[in-house]
Amino acid sequence: MDQLKTLLATAPDRIQAAPNLEALREVENQLLGRKSLVAESRRSLASLPSEERPVVGAQLNEAHQRLTALIEGRRADLERIAEDGLLLGDRVDVTLPARELRLGWHHLVTQTLDEVADIFVSLGYGVVTGPEVDTAWHNFDALNTPPTHPSRLESDTMYVDYGNPDDELLLRTQTSTMQVRYMEQHDPPVYIVAPGRCYRADTLDATHSPVFHQIEGLAVDENISMADLKGTLAHFMREFLGSERKIRLLPHFFPFTEPSAEMHVSCFNCDGSGCRVCGKSGWIELLGCGVVDPHVLEAVGYDTSKYSGFAFGVGAERLAMVRHGINHIKHFYENDLRVLRQFT
Amino acid sequence: MKVSVRWLRDYVDVPTEDPDELAEVFSSLGHEVEGYEVLDLQFSGVIVGRVEEVSPHPNADKLRLCRVTTGGDPQDIVCGAWNFEAGAIVPVSVPGAVLAGGLEVGVRALRGIESHGMICSAAELGLGDDHSGIMVLDPEVEVGTKFAELVPLPDVVFDLSITPNRPDAMSMLGIARDLGAYYRLPVRIPAGSLIEVEPESRVKVTLEDPHGCPRYVGREVKDVKVAASPLWMQLRLRSAGIRPINNIVDITNYVLLETGQPLHGFDLDHVAGEEIIVRRAEPGETLRTLDGVDRELSVWDLVITDASGVVAFAGVMGGETSEVSDGTTRVLIEAAHFDPPSVMFTAKRHDLRTEASSRFERGVDPNLPGRAAERAAALMVELAGGRAVAGVQDNYPEVIEPWPVELDLKEIPRLLGIELDREVVIDLLSLIGFESTGQNPLVVTVPTFRPDVRRPADLVEEVARIHGYDKIPETLPVGPGGGLTEAQLTERRLRGLMTGLGFSEAQNWSFVGTEDLENLGLSADDLRRRGIAVRNPLRDLEPLLRTTLLAGLLKSVRFNASHGADRLALFEIGKVFLAEPSPIDARIPNQPDRLAFVAVGEFGSPQVKGGHSIADVYTATATWRALVETLGIPDAVLRQGSPAGFHPGRAADVLVGGTIVGSVGELHPAVVRSFGLEGRVAAGELALEPLVASRSWWVFQEPSTYPPVVFDLAFDLDATVPSRALVELVTESAGEWLESVRVFDEFTGPSLGEGRKSIAVQVWFRAPDHTLTNEEVAPHRDRIVNRVEDSLDAHLRGGT
Repeated sequence: MDQLKTLLATAPDRIQAAPNLEALREVENQLLGRKSLVAESRRSLASLPSEERPVVGAQLNEAHQRLTALIEGRRADLERIAEDGLLLGDRVDVTLPARELRLGWHHLVTQTLDEVADIFVSLGYGVVTGPEVDTAWHNFDALNTPPTHPSRLESDTMYVDYGNPDDELLLRTQTSTMQVRYMEQHDPPVYIVAPGRCYRADTLDATHSPVFHQIEGLAVDENISMADLKGTLAHFMREFLGSERKIRLLPHFFPFTEPSAEMHVSCFNCDGSGCRVCGKSGWIELLGCGVVDPHVLEAVGYDTSKYSGFAFGVGAERLAMVRHGINHIKHFYENDLRVLRQFT
Repeated sequence: MKVSVRWLRDYVDVPTEDPDELAEVFSSLGHEVEGYEVLDLQFSGVIVGRVEEVSPHPNADKLRLCRVTTGGDPQDIVCGAWNFEAGAIVPVSVPGAVLAGGLEVGVRALRGIESHGMICSAAELGLGDDHSGIMVLDPEVEVGTKFAELVPLPDVVFDLSITPNRPDAMSMLGIARDLGAYYRLPVRIPAGSLIEVEPESRVKVTLEDPHGCPRYVGREVKDVKVAASPLWMQLRLRSAGIRPINNIVDITNYVLLETGQPLHGFDLDHVAGEEIIVRRAEPGETLRTLDGVDRELSVWDLVITDASGVVAFAGVMGGETSEVSDGTTRVLIEAAHFDPPSVMFTAKRHDLRTEASSRFERGVDPNLPGRAAERAAALMVELAGGRAVAGVQDNYPEVIEPWPVELDLKEIPRLLGIELDREVVIDLLSLIGFESTGQNPLVVTVPTFRPDVRRPADLVEEVARIHGYDKIPETLPVGPGGGLTEAQLTERRLRGLMTGLGFSEAQNWSFVGTEDLENLGLSADDLRRRGIAVRNPLRDLEPLLRTTLLAGLLKSVRFNASHGADRLALFEIGKVFLAEPSPIDARIPNQPDRLAFVAVGEFGSPQVKGGHSIADVYTATATWRALVETLGIPDAVLRQGSPAGFHPGRAADVLVGGTIVGSVGELHPAVVRSFGLEGRVAAGELALEPLVASRSWWVFQEPSTYPPVVFDLAFDLDATVPSRALVELVTESAGEWLESVRVFDEFTGPSLGEGRKSIAVQVWFRAPDHTLTNEEVAPHRDRIVNRVEDSLDAHLRGGT
């Protein structure tokens, strides 16, 4: 049996040394074939004394199994190597753009509106949309903007020739119209955002477009306060511009909020130390907001002694321009594919 | 509004020199800082001189030769400005002086005459941007004085953006009052004792329109000597962006800037009858305003008239006839209160926005005119040698008193989210001049310079502003659970699908031209041809609201083609505007959302090795089918059609639930040409609502585990029969085991004969509960063939 031990000790190297399947078959034949030590020992089992036979038999079986396993392992390796060798003949240049899957891009305005809507949906808000041509009542009067207010002049607002002239139909100048339309139809509590297109008789310049998009936020409930406005905007900004953002409110004026404020957010580029993005101030002026003016709630028949609210409006283009460093608002409306393809 | 900090210190002891700190304070008070400028002396070696003599330059028409003394012997100086004469006191840069911008002054020959220095303009001295003439100084300034000693510098000038609700802050005193509140410092209001001389003024004032003009103060000052105003006043006016004219006009402007009360100075000798009547203009009246423009008046214009006619636009601008000039000796100071809308509309109508109109249209304190007129008179006495005449005219039929506003203290926590004690609230309000009495509610007396504060919410804002918005905490309320509607979610999937198919999302402005609608081949009776007109359109070429998204998309495609772009596939979702009542509000037009798409040229997946496909009608129909299948649009049908603007043989109506919801196909070549494109253009425009409408839940179908029986059938049939008819007939006649029918081949050719074509379909049968055999399927196959042959005048060409 010393012969068998020697055989088992040397067999792994012999098997591993087989360079190809043919050589492996030769080694297999030598180790387990008809004339192999294992086969011959098996044939001579009968000549052994009966008490030795089971012991030797078991040793021979074990040796056979081990050798078979080693050979099969080596065979699997050699087969894989052989196939890989064949596949190399099928090699191609994988960096060649031989076939393109041509996808389009979502417009940055809709991406931005969706992203903002989602932030507020996660806070339990609904998303409402409505008409772009609306009455002066919805755009101005109900929003506490008197008939003499300069923003109602044709130099600021585009009017359309349709319907009853008394209704003074116009292209809405703000999504705040949706505050009114929604509250006309629904009782408090109100938690909505209203994305959509707005229009002003502005001349196109780097930051103003006569056609632009806003998203309006409105919460009306019992005891809604300016602190709620601050907390909500801070959350919004942290979601949109990074978790480190801080906000500040500065007093401002809008007809439909009182108190009114302008929200500034700490610069995401320099974190407040001052850079090109924020004009060295550390803060970026981003949106107008405030506590809903009691006249607005009264205009839709809400009880102002019970309900209060906050509102804000932010330009989608402005948000996107700030975040992505877009230098001119025209890029949103030329539909230049060289620009659209950046809207990833 | 431009605010000089040095000037502010006349009224309040601003406790900081740091402009950045002050900027923060202004911002926190609600006065947005557009910027600030640090001013310092930018010149040296400039001496006050007197022009002794002026003569023409012998070699140049545009220059003059001046003899100027700066204390010693007069020197020749060549000067190009014409706004002075001999005797004028002027700043002179003598040789060796350095001017703003670094110019070194020497002795220099100008057109053959040596000039010993320069007479300086404000711009040359870095004291403003006025190049229009040299600075003419107050005649009292001593010749030989170093000019630098007269200039109140350094200074910081802020540019503040004052919100329209704060007319009181459009003045130095108003800004000082807010700073005083912030720093808790007292504010000094300049007041001098005015000595008046008898006899009483004969000026008579009549208010014919007390609504338009609730108050008019007229104050006479006589014996004034019109000259340049003192340098300090000139420089303050310049810091505020106002060009100095002469001492009388400068004083009215100075008091306006100081107090916020617009004033006008009339040359009383040119006020006919020494009589002032405030009324609306009459038809046909005209006025030549101070800017030299003749203006036709409307009956809505509020005007100041004398016995002979109109002498000024109330609250906007004076007229030429009564303008204060060098010869004026008697001045009538007008300090009035005008109705804001009246001033606003006159200013707008005549396109005349002035320092006065911008204040009046926001609302000036009606109790300010008396004090402001007195202040101006005192300055005219002090600086122009005038004498104030007794008998001030003050027509103020209905005195406007400060008004009370009740404030329930619970409103503070309710609206601001902070708790403030009653004493704190009273204190904060007192800082801005609001007095409070009562326990709860507080009764707050609002001064008449704050016309914006009328209601409790307005007081709450003032409390918050003075307390500081930054002291309000952040709390995050949560809504009752909203989320996106099914239609909103589906619209998002739709957009994702369109980009996945290779279209990029476009956003076009919502306007079209009449020509665009013609070019799209829309017939005259098509609702889409009757676009709603914008009364004040942005571009004359696009005066209408869009009734279709295709015009904008085609223009965008052309724009990209002109840049050599090769992925010309765009889609847009947006509103169109139709001249019919909206279902949500009959007053406004119908504004349905549409989906439109356009593809030109290579489309799909181009290959370096192998070809690509060119967009055509089947690109459009495939896009529609992808929408139907992915969004699960029920009861959707594509039908050969000839929608307006499309190729008559290569377009389809698309129907959902039996109603046409839009069209897809190739655009008519004439439409394509009219938009500057060529070749086939695949396009579609569809109503969005039926695509994203709510659907009933689908019900699961267990996939069969048994193998199918598959066979092909090729039919020879009339070329006009749509493949859809064949597929429908096969589907109808196949029986319960039918799994799918798919067209896989179509052709025409001589072998089939004129007017015939071949369509081949592959049919899959599969049973849910056993393996089908060919024998089982055979009768069904025969039935299909028979039905098709009978109903469609077809015959089976072959099959498997």
